[in-house]
Amino acid sequence: MFLRMLRGALFRQKGKMLMIAITIALGASLATAMLNVMLDVGDKVNRELKAYGANINVLPKGASLLGDLYGVQDGTGVSDRYLNEDELPLIKTIFWAFNIVDFAPYFETDARLTDVAGAADSGGDGPSSRGDEIALIGTWFDHHLDLPTGESLDTGIRNMKSWWDVSGEWASDDDADGAMVGAQVAERLGVSIGDTITVEEDGRAKSLTVRGVFDAGGNEDDRIYVPLAVAQELAGKPGAVSSVEVSALTTPDNELSRKAAQDPNSLSIKEWETWYCTAYVSAICYQIEEVVSDSVAKPIRQVAESEGAILEKTQFLMLLITILSLVGSALGISNLVTVSVMERSREIGLLKAVGAHNSSVMGLVLTEVLITAAAGGAVGYFAGLGFAQVIGHSVFGSGIDIRPVVIPLVAILVFIVTLAGSVPSIRMLLSLRPAEVLHGR
Amino acid sequence: MNILELNDITKDYGSVKALKNVDMTLSNGEWLAIMGPSGSGKTTMMNIVGCMDKPTSGTVMLDGTNISEVSAKNLTNIRRDKIGLIFQQFHLIGYLTALENIMVAQYYHSMPDEGEALKALERVGLRERAKHLPSQLSGGEQQRVCIARALINYPMLILADEPTGNLDETNEQIVMDIFRQLHRDGSSIIVVTHDPEIAEEAERTVVLEHGKVTRNTKNAVAGSRGGDEKNV
Repeated sequence: MFLRMLRGALFRQKGKMLMIAITIALGASLATAMLNVMLDVGDKVNRELKAYGANINVLPKGASLLGDLYGVQDGTGVSDRYLNEDELPLIKTIFWAFNIVDFAPYFETDARLTDVAGAADSGGDGPSSRGDEIALIGTWFDHHLDLPTGESLDTGIRNMKSWWDVSGEWASDDDADGAMVGAQVAERLGVSIGDTITVEEDGRAKSLTVRGVFDAGGNEDDRIYVPLAVAQELAGKPGAVSSVEVSALTTPDNELSRKAAQDPNSLSIKEWETWYCTAYVSAICYQIEEVVSDSVAKPIRQVAESEGAILEKTQFLMLLITILSLVGSALGISNLVTVSVMERSREIGLLKAVGAHNSSVMGLVLTEVLITAAAGGAVGYFAGLGFAQVIGHSVFGSGIDIRPVVIPLVAILVFIVTLAGSVPSIRMLLSLRPAEVLHGR
Repeated sequence: MNILELNDITKDYGSVKALKNVDMTLSNGEWLAIMGPSGSGKTTMMNIVGCMDKPTSGTVMLDGTNISEVSAKNLTNIRRDKIGLIFQQFHLIGYLTALENIMVAQYYHSMPDEGEALKALERVGLRERAKHLPSQLSGGEQQRVCIARALINYPMLILADEPTGNLDETNEQIVMDIFRQLHRDGSSIIVVTHDPEIAEEAERTVVLEHGKVTRNTKNAVAGSRGGDEKNV
């Protein structure tokens, strides 16, 4: 009989039940969309932030120490310490390898400018002249790597310096004669795309053709970027790397990561395992140091902290929207169920008059509402997946990963919201006296 | 033997005294009519006797139990087990069929039995309308479903509030025929009515005015049992 009454209430009062289902569907869809976006926004925002550069800098141990202690940036013990290029692919084999988005090595050397052919020859000489020293940086532009794990990777500054405004084209790692010239250098030397610059170091001369001129808006504009091997050869230091910039997806810092960053040895075994297996920037730095000999990996604090702050704020915003949408949904459900109970007060009074106890009537009304909520919640879940994709494509330009954990979360939230929304109507229901609703007294 | 005894019943709603020191009895198998103008306290008395309200003072003994002192939960149980309620507005559940409306009373009493519910419908002449919703039934048919629902659990006392108040003459006769039959079968009945003709069908008529019993009269017609009149 209970099922007959349920069926009657659900199918013969379609209008009312549909309104409740729609309200719950709206709340569930917003919750689904926001929870999916919130859980995925970490990666999405992280990837967006990667467009603004690296967040980890890897230096040779001695160079880092002298730099930290004395602020020395150059000279014996600093500029003559190098990392080994052959070890760099190992960065993509650490525990958090998947979170390493890109990395690029740098080999810095000062070369002497011996000749400028092209525009400079036709009278475009700037304040600097032949014989001046110029900063030459060897790097990977878009370097193909075959990793020890069998995977392959294309990495380099082309991906990492996405904000560079490049005229002409990016230089190639395979083009030993190509170079990218910073805007300030190009202006000073009066060179443009296609011109040739000849540099010399310790008697080794190299002619470079300007493939592109870039405007980075920083110190880089006063440098010339060439393939890593070219700079190493010119300096006579094959395989040497001055520093590596790493762009990694990280988890915002917390108390544990800050403690670990100061001294990983101060952690208990359990803390250490938690820290090591979480993508904190300090954990990733630690793991890089494990695979690159005599290296010190340091977070570029300003970037890492800004990323963490932006991420936390974005997630908080999403959480706030989710909570507000659920509160709105609860209020809607509350109104609808209360109105429904008020409209059915005679029916409920009659049920009580023929012997139904409060618990039986409450059970009947709650079951009706929860079944309706389940149907509305299911529709809302799938609609929410659609909303999440719309948000993903319109905000981040890519889809949002569907997280299975959202299903039980939304189910629990719909259950709680429906129960919470039903509280006022249940209170009204409990206070209904058959004599009042059936006889008006 | 009395199945119902009201002793010195008073019911106050704030400053309004709906019933004032009312005494009344109903013997087993008796058909009693309660009459009175609007506001005389008929509905209040009906609510108290029907275990839907409690008196402010006085005692109500129903089948040996003082229902003015039992808890709300027990009052519901007594109502469910001993009272059959018939309403002027029928109060059928709109989304349940005639049959299901009767089975609801069975469900909250003990166990729904479709066969028995169909028999109850047959008793009021509506077996063929079992699958109809209340909106598909006439007023008279709805009242007959309401009567079938009141009878389904074999109550000790049938309480009817203006059972013919919303019916035309034809349906009124059909319903009164059912009451006559119930009375012949030995049911105890209390009918609240404005209509003197309906009241005359009962064995006894109690008249309420301003919350007080002003007349308690035995009727001559009903059941050819005769009766005398006394003013209270």
